Amino acid sequence: MKTDVLHAVRLARMDMTVLGRNQTALVNVLLLPLLMAWMFTTLYDRGEIGGVPGGLFILTGLPSMMLGFAVFVNLVNSFTARREELVLKRLRGGQPSAVAIFGGAGLSAFLIFAVQMVLVAVWSSRIEGGAMPANIPLMVVTGLLGVAVFALIAAAFSGITRNAELAQVAVVPVLLVIMIGSPLMVPLSVFPEPLQIIAKFIPSTPVTEVMRTAHLGRDFIGEGGQTLTTAQQWIEALPSLGVLVLWIGIGALLAKWLFRWDPRHG
Amino acid sequence: METRQINCRPGEVAGRGHDLAIEVGGLHQRYGSFEAVRGISFSVRQGELFALLGTNGAGKTTTMEVLEGFAKPGDGQVRVLGLDPWRQRRALRPRMGILHQDAGFIGDLTVAETVDMWRGMSADAGRGTIDNALALVDLENKAKTKVRQLSGGQKRRLDLALAVLARPEVLFLDEPTTGMDPEARVATWRVIQSLRTEGTTVLLTTHYLEEAERLADHLAIMHEGRIHTYGTVDEVVAAAGDQVTFRLAVSAAEAKTRFPQGLPFVAGNAPLVTYAADHLQAVYTLDDGHPGDRAQAAMRTLLSWSDQSGVTLERLEVRRGTLEDVFMRVVGEVR
Repeated sequence: MKTDVLHAVRLARMDMTVLGRNQTALVNVLLLPLLMAWMFTTLYDRGEIGGVPGGLFILTGLPSMMLGFAVFVNLVNSFTARREELVLKRLRGGQPSAVAIFGGAGLSAFLIFAVQMVLVAVWSSRIEGGAMPANIPLMVVTGLLGVAVFALIAAAFSGITRNAELAQVAVVPVLLVIMIGSPLMVPLSVFPEPLQIIAKFIPSTPVTEVMRTAHLGRDFIGEGGQTLTTAQQWIEALPSLGVLVLWIGIGALLAKWLFRWDPRHG
Repeated sequence: METRQINCRPGEVAGRGHDLAIEVGGLHQRYGSFEAVRGISFSVRQGELFALLGTNGAGKTTTMEVLEGFAKPGDGQVRVLGLDPWRQRRALRPRMGILHQDAGFIGDLTVAETVDMWRGMSADAGRGTIDNALALVDLENKAKTKVRQLSGGQKRRLDLALAVLARPEVLFLDEPTTGMDPEARVATWRVIQSLRTEGTTVLLTTHYLEEAERLADHLAIMHEGRIHTYGTVDEVVAAAGDQVTFRLAVSAAEAKTRFPQGLPFVAGNAPLVTYAADHLQAVYTLDDGHPGDRAQAAMRTLLSWSDQSGVTLERLEVRRGTLEDVFMRVVGEVR
């Protein structure tokens, strides 16, 4: 276990070094979501949504979109490219276990996500009606679960993506589902009835709702929007966290089934 | 030479005992309907260098992959350092080094960063410095070069540096010198020999027969998933027999008139005759008896025959068989 953690940290450090040298990846993973965040908040910065200023509502729901870019897009590209370049084969032939290899990739993705979250938190505190997050531990737990879900889905998705070029396109539908199918810009109650039920079980929805609740200290998981104590926030978040745990199970099964260490032939 | 499938049960090879680093018994490996490995058995003693030779598709890499723990053995038994490489992979990995036939690098890292990363994930990382690892494969002056800028041969040397970084007990080398220039190849052989001297067990696959002849203690020639020849290099080469070649300045038509009985048999062997416009060449392969005796007897027979027939031998030479002769015969006979 200790060895796996050490290896995962080593691999994450390598990922960060490589990311720092790849300007295209840096823009796609780190800057593009921030740019989109700025665009969304500018567009919707009128009136109130769910009882809070529009810009603040959107900013506090952005973590799910950040997960889409920093974790899902990043890891689908990384796993696919490294599989095709036979880097995964080399890693698999060395001493790191599969757990360490996945852990390293997940850790580096989490670090990128964390940087974005800090930037969004500071940004949120400086706009109208904003404040620093009310429940950071709940945000960290949700973030970790969210990273685990999207990292596993990315591993599975890379298995059905033929090459690195295709990976750039293949991730778009999933990003769209994250952005349109979860209450990123409008509350879930605005969605048509059947879509509400489906959206509730998309992994980005619990992330959006719990992150928003933890940030603003108000209930954005249920309908009310009323102020919650820290304990109430945890209690209110439990079903959503349960959905994420369920998704971790689904993601792990999908990854085990679809992930490939060696390139696809033919 | 007659070729046959060799099935040496683990532990029975050349009277070996329990000091076996690698044991393979009745291994079958199938990909869909294609059987890549068809019931092979061999063993490698600790500290020994064993070479697996064969044409492309002979089953060498598949065998290696099973031994490295990448593939679950289809049927049969496989042990590396007494462990099951598929089930006990975690325990075995720190004790083995692998040089794949093809494995990629992260092109954006420098050579030194690549070695450093690998050191950080090796059980015995403290033993050597990055400089030592690079000096071993003569890449010290490339330490700050990005891996994507290395030539194919340089990447192969970096591959070797990573494979031996943790001083493994067992080293799997899958075509280690492919893409190297002759100088780098000889340098790599020196590295492999020094590791062997230190007691590392090496399983090597190669297309270069000279490489196997120079490095291996034992070797096996695989073809179409089976081992057809097995033994020490000397044993295998000795089985190739001597080759006695003579050349006469007669055309095919003349030969028929002048030697109606045909060319002589030597020690019961008929020659393999090839004709050119103005000469013929006959080659006898002698693989019975002691090498010196059979060659001498063959030359006596041919000299006496040429005297009696009144022909002058343009050329008469004897050469020991080579590994290439054995290899070509195995491949040819099976085909």
